[in-house]
Amino acid sequence: MNGHALLEARDLTVRFGGLVAVDAVSAAFAAGELVGIIGPNGAGKTTFFNALSGVQVPSSGELFAQGRRLTGAAPHRYAAQGIARTFQTPRVFAELTVAANIDFGLQFAGRGRKASWLLKDTTSILNLIGLSAQAEMPAAAVTPSQQRLLEIGMALATRPKLLLLDEVAAGLTEAEVDAMAQLIRRLRDELDLTVIWIEHAVTTLLRYVERVIVLHQGQLIADGTPAEVVRNAQVIEAYLGDEIDADHEAHPAHEARREPVAA
Amino acid sequence: MLLNKKLLGRDLLVLFALVGWALALPLYGSEFAVSMLLTCLMYVALSSSWGLFCGSTRYLSLATAAFFGIGAYTSALMLEHLPWLVVIALGALVAAAVALVMGAAVLHLRGTYFAVLTFGMTELIRHAVTTFEKMVTGTVGRVLMVVPDRNTIYLTVLGIATLAVLTSILVRRSRFGLAMAGIGSDEQRAQTLGVNTKLVKMGGFALTAAFAGAVGAAMATRWTYIDPATVFNPFIGFQTVLIALIGGAATLWGPLLAAVVFSLLAETLRLQVPQAYMVGLGVLLILSVLYLPGGLASLRWSTFGQWRDDTRAWWKALREPGPKEGAT
Repeated sequence: MNGHALLEARDLTVRFGGLVAVDAVSAAFAAGELVGIIGPNGAGKTTFFNALSGVQVPSSGELFAQGRRLTGAAPHRYAAQGIARTFQTPRVFAELTVAANIDFGLQFAGRGRKASWLLKDTTSILNLIGLSAQAEMPAAAVTPSQQRLLEIGMALATRPKLLLLDEVAAGLTEAEVDAMAQLIRRLRDELDLTVIWIEHAVTTLLRYVERVIVLHQGQLIADGTPAEVVRNAQVIEAYLGDEIDADHEAHPAHEARREPVAA
Repeated sequence: MLLNKKLLGRDLLVLFALVGWALALPLYGSEFAVSMLLTCLMYVALSSSWGLFCGSTRYLSLATAAFFGIGAYTSALMLEHLPWLVVIALGALVAAAVALVMGAAVLHLRGTYFAVLTFGMTELIRHAVTTFEKMVTGTVGRVLMVVPDRNTIYLTVLGIATLAVLTSILVRRSRFGLAMAGIGSDEQRAQTLGVNTKLVKMGGFALTAAFAGAVGAAMATRWTYIDPATVFNPFIGFQTVLIALIGGAATLWGPLLAAVVFSLLAETLRLQVPQAYMVGLGVLLILSVLYLPGGLASLRWSTFGQWRDDTRAWWKALREPGPKEGAT
């Protein structure tokens, strides 16, 4: 499988009726990369993720995992290829215990797959995400930020090669965001995992990732290092243009320029 | 493996004891008691196997009557040519095969759409059989000439019911059961964690249908005369669903518990006051949905305390109108 990207999207397009949510996006992801995806509200980030994980069948374009065509396959085939994801609003199995939620991935996509000792069993994954104390609690009973960690744990239990994180830091306190970022770095470094991370809070993201993809109105308008991307005229325009009618959640372009690459 | 192995021994022991008791009943019980237990066993088999798939995945199927009827007709057609147990197995197989076809068409739908379509297909099958009988064989119903004796039927239905509960006990602790629970909780999430949901749903639906088909094949011989209106009676499907819901569809013992309550109600009330039977069913369902959404199996001593507290709070609120009274 050498020479092939871990995951590659070619001209990926998703249409909802007349709306083009993802517009001919091409991108390839190599092993061990830590990539951020940013873009203003409605830029198509989550739809792009849904297409990358098989949850949304693309209207046109192709998807390849290590050279193997996956376009149109059911989501469990993506999971079997080592593509795992989290959802923006945590979708844990509410009635099951935290431990059983982790076990779920181990029983299906993660079953029989070679794994690092960090992902050896439920206990080791719970340790990794720091939820050992909550193991026997129902997933519905843990705090929202713990549910986010659990989502990551569930995805890790599939013993993936690539992890898609959809706004895992949203709504977390600064300290929690920092811990989350550290966890993500650690996953990448120790598990040699490719991580693609969507975040609405651009400054946070730019601090931790090595490559940034910017989506705007469904199109890929920039793909490069954080330093390159924040100087990209198109990107600045996308965010400044957005600022006129959006609330100040979307100021990031300014902040990003003030502190280009903190990482 | 972290699959739930807890209490496996207890569940098997309870099943063992119940089967022992049911085996002994014909030796000392009256004919009426045995007949009542047979109805009870029929509903245990139907609702336990229904709960096995529909309870855990939350796909509410109303097609039980279709599979039951298919089993019954298989039995009517084959009883004279094949040994008894082969007929039962064939009833199960044909029903499962029909379930696979039906499932391929409707299992991608959820909620009301799935329920309504399974009901519609049941009616379609009933009318198709009726038409076929009228056009081709020129009859309305069929009389089953060579039927096994009462004891054989009783033991067979007992065997099917036992197998249904045993399957439930084992499946709940298997990967298959975990996959179905995941589908019931969040189907897409289960898919992204590697569950081939289509395969699991088809398998579960066919398994449920096989039990209904087997029960239909056995019960047809007890009725000795069958016609589409009786064996494809949608009420069989509704009653199965009601029993499972009242007992607790996602639980192991709930459907069994409710099936006992039902058959007692059915046999004691239906003959004397048929309206009261239907009213009783309705009231039970409403009460269980309102006050015991987890079903009879979720009833605990603490539930009574909760009801008492709720009633007190309600009573208090009734006597002391809240401050918002003047609003609007």
